[in-house]
Amino acid sequence: MRKTETPVVKRSLPSWILASSFKLQALLLLVILITVFARVLPLEMQKRIVNEAIRFGEIQMLFWYCGYYLAAVLVATGLKYLISALQNVIGERALADMRKALYHHILTLPLNFFRKTQPGLVISSLVTEHASAGMFVGMAIGVPVASILTLFAFAGYLIWLNPLLAGISLSIYPMVLILLPRLQQQANKANKRRVDTTRTLSGKIGEAISGIHEIHGNGSYRIENRRYDKMIDKLYKIRIVWNLYKFSVKSVNNFFNNLSPFLVFIVGGYLAIKGRLDLGALVAFISAQEKIYDPWKELIAFYQVYQDASVRYKRTMEYFDEVSEHALEPDDREPYELEGSIEVKDLSFQAEGGIQLLDGINLSLKPGQQLALVGFSGSGKSTLAQCVGQLYKYTGGHVLLGGEEVTDLSKKDVIHNVGFVSQTPFTFEGTIKDNILYSCAAKLGSDEIGETDALPSLDDMIEALQQTGIFVDVLRFGLNAILVYDEHQGLASKIVRVRDHFKREFGEELADYVEFFAEDNYLYHSTIAANLTFGSANVESYTLQNLAVNDYFLRFLDKADLTRPLLTLGAELCRQTVDILGNLPPEKVFFEQSPIRAEELDEYKTLSTRLAKTKLHHFSPDDRTSLLRLALRFIPGVHKMVGMPSILEELILEGRALFKEDISRDDPGAITFYQASKYIYSQTILDNIFFGKTKTVNPQAEEKIDQSIIQVLIEEDLLETIVEIGMEFQVGSKGDRLSGGQRQKLAIARVFLKAPRVLIMDEATSALDNKSQARIQSLLDTRWKGESTLIAVVHRLDIIKSYDKIAVMKAGRIGEMGTYDDLVAKKGMLYELIYGKKASI
Amino acid sequence: MNSSMEKRQVSDTSEFQQNLEILRQMDFFSALSLQALKVFAYLFTREVFKPGDYLFHQDDNDGNAFHILSGIAEVARKDESGEFCLGKYGEGEFLGGLALLGDMRRLFSLKALTDMTCLVMTREKFTKAIEQFPDLMPRVLETMVDRIRSWEERLFLDKDGLCDACRKKVGVSLI
Repeated sequence: MRKTETPVVKRSLPSWILASSFKLQALLLLVILITVFARVLPLEMQKRIVNEAIRFGEIQMLFWYCGYYLAAVLVATGLKYLISALQNVIGERALADMRKALYHHILTLPLNFFRKTQPGLVISSLVTEHASAGMFVGMAIGVPVASILTLFAFAGYLIWLNPLLAGISLSIYPMVLILLPRLQQQANKANKRRVDTTRTLSGKIGEAISGIHEIHGNGSYRIENRRYDKMIDKLYKIRIVWNLYKFSVKSVNNFFNNLSPFLVFIVGGYLAIKGRLDLGALVAFISAQEKIYDPWKELIAFYQVYQDASVRYKRTMEYFDEVSEHALEPDDREPYELEGSIEVKDLSFQAEGGIQLLDGINLSLKPGQQLALVGFSGSGKSTLAQCVGQLYKYTGGHVLLGGEEVTDLSKKDVIHNVGFVSQTPFTFEGTIKDNILYSCAAKLGSDEIGETDALPSLDDMIEALQQTGIFVDVLRFGLNAILVYDEHQGLASKIVRVRDHFKREFGEELADYVEFFAEDNYLYHSTIAANLTFGSANVESYTLQNLAVNDYFLRFLDKADLTRPLLTLGAELCRQTVDILGNLPPEKVFFEQSPIRAEELDEYKTLSTRLAKTKLHHFSPDDRTSLLRLALRFIPGVHKMVGMPSILEELILEGRALFKEDISRDDPGAITFYQASKYIYSQTILDNIFFGKTKTVNPQAEEKIDQSIIQVLIEEDLLETIVEIGMEFQVGSKGDRLSGGQRQKLAIARVFLKAPRVLIMDEATSALDNKSQARIQSLLDTRWKGESTLIAVVHRLDIIKSYDKIAVMKAGRIGEMGTYDDLVAKKGMLYELIYGKKASI
Repeated sequence: MNSSMEKRQVSDTSEFQQNLEILRQMDFFSALSLQALKVFAYLFTREVFKPGDYLFHQDDNDGNAFHILSGIAEVARKDESGEFCLGKYGEGEFLGGLALLGDMRRLFSLKALTDMTCLVMTREKFTKAIEQFPDLMPRVLETMVDRIRSWEERLFLDKDGLCDACRKKVGVSLI
């Protein structure tokens, strides 16, 4: 982007017309000129058909003229379509540009702006309000030029036919021109109010949705409803007024347009009767006069679009008309490579409303020194960290980073030298890898998080994962991945080798936590389907989802006397699960232990009501399939709402043997039976290593399992491979498939990977367990001390001993500063914080 | 090799129904409606611990609550001088309810002394579930407040067991 460009919010609506593609606009003009000609031609043909062909009985001539007429109509229609198409392209392109530019602008606005702005408002501005502006840009050249030209062409033709008549019928337009703008002005006023109200409304909705917990928590539905309803009522009134004015514009216009034929009939009729006007000319005149209405109507419509668009456009742009507090990029130089010293002199920060958040802060850090900011919440420690990190623009005093004033640095300078981990780090949709490379990629200025040489290597990433203690989690993601036959055959065979190794070394020790696949035992942690087939499907028709409609399998169930018991089990599962989960939202927490998936709940709810009324044998084939599917999915070790009848267990074990015999004979390739020597593609990597399923989610057991798995993977040199697979794990929107601790670790990892000279951590480890916190602290003490200057806002006081300096903040000021031992010996504020008020008395 | 496999109970009651029965008799959940109780009974999972396993560690913010079905656990606190036992808990005790309500770092560790089976509820599950029954939260808080108050009351009634130094530090129900 060019730096001299006017910010998007300062641009006028017409400027977008100039910015649109010149070639397209020129093409549009050309097409319009031809269209105007093609529109007038039929009128002349009309006249000639009446005056020459019909009057003199010239059949030949009639055909010729009609031919011209038809051709002109066809051309005009085709060109009209072309015009719309071109306008569409120009308009949509302008709209897209506007949306992009505005979004780019909004992201750079100061954090303060977003404190008072609801996300809903930003969304509606970007998504809906600009649509009319885009439409206007598309129409801006084509419509007025086409309409005015057509208007003039028709008017010229009318004058050429009969100046007197033309004068009379055109005389109405000046009157319209006087009246319309007045009405439109009123419509605009109403429109402005509408835009404002809509904006508050979307803000309100956004607020309610993001605060839905609070509303539920307080049962404040009525309060919220009343607030919302009031706004809707207001909007309702404004919209009525707005529409009434819009309609009145149309009505006035229609009235005058219908008035002009009246004048023509009176005067033209008189002239024709007197023989001063020939009939053909009158016919042509009346047609032309009717047609003049079309371009006029378009012109008025365009006028309305313009008015509407400019109101919305201005209102939206005005709202976002704030400047980002810092330049994004430095002018004509590379970003600074600053040394890590920090000098804060007499710093103050005043929030809106004159609240002094920081006052007279002085401190200085040499490169590589570490400072802990402690104090009660609200004492300004986060604000101070954010001022140093350029997230807030301080209102007085100086912050010098490597000798440069932070306010004067561009954003690029700052991200080049500073790493910031916020209190509630945000994880973006994508893979673990995307998120871990986020800071580095941003520093490199690349648009996409992709493969470039400058990005950290796999080893670096793994190191960062280990440092922050999220390594095991990522390994878990990898272990829980399911390999695809076509892509991973090499890896699969290696994992079979790991399986042997694992069994030799840890089989005994972990037997309590793992249920191994054994042909003679019922598997309580596998589905009934897996218990029956005791293998993984090689063809689509034998996968878990399809078994319930697989004719061969259904016949087998009959033969093994399993159909009826399974249907009964399915019915019981359906009843119980719906009874428990029937009214709960589709959240992962609720459905982890349920055989019914969140998206199927409604289906099984209706099925459950049918179950109450109907006997099983009256059920439709579809319903039976649904119940059977549920039963086949049943895992007794996970789905605890129904107990597994022991008689069914026996039946299934017998069925397993029968199925193996049958399928080996009838369709040998369909299933790969669980065998210690074969990889099972339907199961996760972990289950393949175990050759079984874990029975527990208890953390201690998981830790034992993790340790032994890691040991085996290291010995087999597969650890990195699995972690690499784990890094492809999709974290979900806002990272909701990760825990709070995992998100925080990821945020720290991405900043560590960037290895900035200045590290600012705003309670960056608050959601972590003790061990992880200690690990990261010891890393800061060893790996980063002397390397990066650190400012850490710290909530827990047991981890600050090793910091070079500790600043205790109170009410926006630094109360005392020094080393841990000095401050504790002084028995001042820090002492009080650590040992409590009473103890110090 | 599967001899150690847990013995299946050959009974008609599912684990869910057993949980439901247990919950109905628990102080902490007694205020809940049947529908809410069902959801909680469903969300509770059974975990087995072996002697020496920790249910939670001191300083952890694990957010789990435990109802002991069988076995004995020891509450211990570690400081510079080492680990010392503060008490033992056994069958039928419900521990850690406070941790369900909000972030809390453990002041103690809980360690299994024998083989144990517990019903475990995580804070995540609890929070999500309680959101679904907004009118429950006040009642849960009430139960909690009452427990804290009566706990301290008992402390005062037990006049002989309370040393003078301790007497000066009581007042948890004043928070």
